[in-house]
Amino acid sequence: MSISRRKFLGQSALTAVGGMLIPSFLKGFDGRNTLLNNSSNKLVIIQFSGGNDGLNTIVPYQNDIYYQQRPNIAIKKSDVIKVTDELGFHPALKSLQGLYDNGDMSIINNVGYPNPDRSHFRSMDIWHTASNSNEYLSTGWLGRYLDKHNNNNHQALEMDDTLSLALKGIEHSGFAMSDPKRLQRTVKTPIVKALVKHHHDHDHEENVAYLYQTLANTVSSSDYLFEKAKTYSSSQSYPKNKLGKSLKQVAELIISGCDTQVYYVTLGGFDTHANQTMTQERLLKAYAESVSAFIKDLKQHNQWNDTMVMTFSEFGRRVKENGSRGTDHGTAGNLFLMSGKLKKAGFYNDAPDLTTLDKGDLIYNMDFRRVYATLLDKWLKVDDQAILNRQFKALSIV
Amino acid sequence: MTNQEKIQHLYWRAGFGLSPNDQDKHNWSVTKAVNNLFKEAQKLQPLAMPKFDSPSRAEIKSMSKQERKDLRKEVQQMTNDVNADWVRQMASTTSSPLQEKMTLFWHGHFACESKSFHLAVNQINTIRKHSLGSFKDLVLAISKDASMIFYLNNQQNKKSHPNENYARELMELFTIGRGNYTEKDIKEAARAFTGWFANRQLGTFNFRDKAHDYGKKTFMGKTGNFDGTDIVDIILEQKETAEYIATKVYRYFVNPKPNTTHITAIAKVFRDSDYDIAKMMRYVFESDWFYSQKNRGSKIKSPIEFLVGISKTLGLSFGNTQSLLFPQRTLGQTIFRPPNVAGWPGGKAWIDNATLMLRLNFAGIIFQRSELLINAKEMPEMAKRGKLKKLAIDANLQPLLQTVKKIKEADLSNTLCQQLLQVDFESKDSFIEQFAKTANTRQKKIQAFLLGIMSLPEYQVC
Repeated sequence: MSISRRKFLGQSALTAVGGMLIPSFLKGFDGRNTLLNNSSNKLVIIQFSGGNDGLNTIVPYQNDIYYQQRPNIAIKKSDVIKVTDELGFHPALKSLQGLYDNGDMSIINNVGYPNPDRSHFRSMDIWHTASNSNEYLSTGWLGRYLDKHNNNNHQALEMDDTLSLALKGIEHSGFAMSDPKRLQRTVKTPIVKALVKHHHDHDHEENVAYLYQTLANTVSSSDYLFEKAKTYSSSQSYPKNKLGKSLKQVAELIISGCDTQVYYVTLGGFDTHANQTMTQERLLKAYAESVSAFIKDLKQHNQWNDTMVMTFSEFGRRVKENGSRGTDHGTAGNLFLMSGKLKKAGFYNDAPDLTTLDKGDLIYNMDFRRVYATLLDKWLKVDDQAILNRQFKALSIV
Repeated sequence: MTNQEKIQHLYWRAGFGLSPNDQDKHNWSVTKAVNNLFKEAQKLQPLAMPKFDSPSRAEIKSMSKQERKDLRKEVQQMTNDVNADWVRQMASTTSSPLQEKMTLFWHGHFACESKSFHLAVNQINTIRKHSLGSFKDLVLAISKDASMIFYLNNQQNKKSHPNENYARELMELFTIGRGNYTEKDIKEAARAFTGWFANRQLGTFNFRDKAHDYGKKTFMGKTGNFDGTDIVDIILEQKETAEYIATKVYRYFVNPKPNTTHITAIAKVFRDSDYDIAKMMRYVFESDWFYSQKNRGSKIKSPIEFLVGISKTLGLSFGNTQSLLFPQRTLGQTIFRPPNVAGWPGGKAWIDNATLMLRLNFAGIIFQRSELLINAKEMPEMAKRGKLKKLAIDANLQPLLQTVKKIKEADLSNTLCQQLLQVDFESKDSFIEQFAKTANTRQKKIQAFLLGIMSLPEYQVC
């Protein structure tokens, strides 16, 4: 019986096992909950790299301390998009106002973790691994999710050429792809074809088998994503920047019924030590316009109720501006959750307290891992404690 | 293992594989090869400190914004150059493979990110100096190393406000490992290291008498007016320290899967020799079990092992610093930039769909000068993405061609497989030979074989 190449690739993880030493990482295919997850919900994560200035994103426009501490870079009261008596949006977030009014956006203030680290790398590490600040983990929180609940090799997809720590597990990791066409070009080479065939026909020792298996999975995921990306082409107009392009790609995959569950997108450049105003405005505008196009697209295709967008940054910035019309690395920041199915929209907790600071920095009162726990438990419907290695109280947002 | 397999195995673990110039070593006995490795390592080859007139604080203060920006750029460039210098040195035929490998090993062990290139160079040369010496000297030197003092906040460790960061990592990651000390031990050790500061400008150790806590401390059951040196002594008295290091050595140099019997034996040699690293390593490389079949090819090459290995084999020269940095960044191991103080996790963690494809395509990128189809992640300090269109890499195949000069054409592909791979691969009549069919000269055929072999997943293990 001849098996078509596509079929073989699609099933290679299962069929290729038969004749060879079964490496430990494959054994789980039998026992684990591999066919269906408990939830068909989609999670989209948008990472602001560099440390977004939360105070100029969600502006405490009634707060005198805010204006005293930031004589040059504070957002003028008249420019703020006022959404509560105290807080308002940066004007560049204008396209998100409708979303907020519609109850599709929840804003969590003062998000951070105990003993904050002000290094980008370390703090991002902590967010990616969901560790304590004095603890070093080599797997990401989504990677551990995949280790426990893996359905396919592109179940978590990072829209980039390389994979972030957040998506690295021990036996399963996320999949990195910035462009399905380009990915397809790298796997449609004679040598890769020959290698996949060679893998099918031979037995290998553990490490080598693992590499061949990863290759076979890469090829089959690339084929799958390439096909799915062709299925639906969005007519929605997205901003022409990189984030807009990535979110368009994500929308197309979601709408075409792609079986990816978690999408990971990064927007960088938030490290605004000097001349913050222009940079942050450009970035927030790109973000707000891309996200609102994305949500329109999903709404039109009845996918918005099944999608959750989380936006975060590794830290906020210092309350007081520095001498270069910028801000230095700080601690707590704000985090956004967006979905058509939020239980509690609007502001989840109080505005930052600018009177009580820790060496000039905001004091967190919401551990980011409570948000992760909520998303794992309520949205992806899995045991959050098994993934986060600790118990965190869920929020009543989702 | 055959003798050639043993020698190749040894050179992959104690170095970065053999270069074509080393082919005569295939016939050496293990004893001779080990002696040679240690002999070559005796001559210290420190990393050169780049010439740079570091402006004083006052000078920086008087600088314009643009001048400061340029200065930052220059320093960043220096940092990149220093990285490239070291990788070039690892790949050089005139370097000591063992000295380079040990330095890389300890760099991953005492993982540290340096604030500036001169601190990085100082630290790596300190590690290099002690890499095969006394572990006690090494730990003490690291405890007094400026870069480490800044990285783990010992600069903030004062009698009035002790900072426990260094004391904790010293025990948890550098010496004895978790579960062998108490929180109280950390507090007491931190007190002993108070005042162990560094001079940022000079990059030197700077003990500050006034910040040091001279009081009594109780640490691991002993009481006295301990300072950092005493703490290191007491930690090294514990047999768990030797076991912790032996485990790490075994997993790095022998097999990622620990073997308790062999680890216990290594630890005993280490402890009995008063922590002589050279004695421990010699014991490992001279043990029969080191050459057991199950250890051969049991490691997934780290990005540096991969890069330096391929560079040695193909006689690569790198036209610019970016061509050395970009592969490190995209493959997930940038030296001087470990992910955190725990170092690079290694093993299967090196591999995901993106890094695997880049590894498999790497020989193609070199041979065919093809465009890079990937971008690196941006660094937080830089708004620009890590874009690079092409790698400026040239190969010099002459030495390699020499080694197979006398090989019959029919045996070429298998001979090359034996030289380049640490696991068996039957290339006769395989797709490797298929792909070389259209090559019309011997050299082109060899090149096609090389490209095929280096594209194999088998090439990724050592």
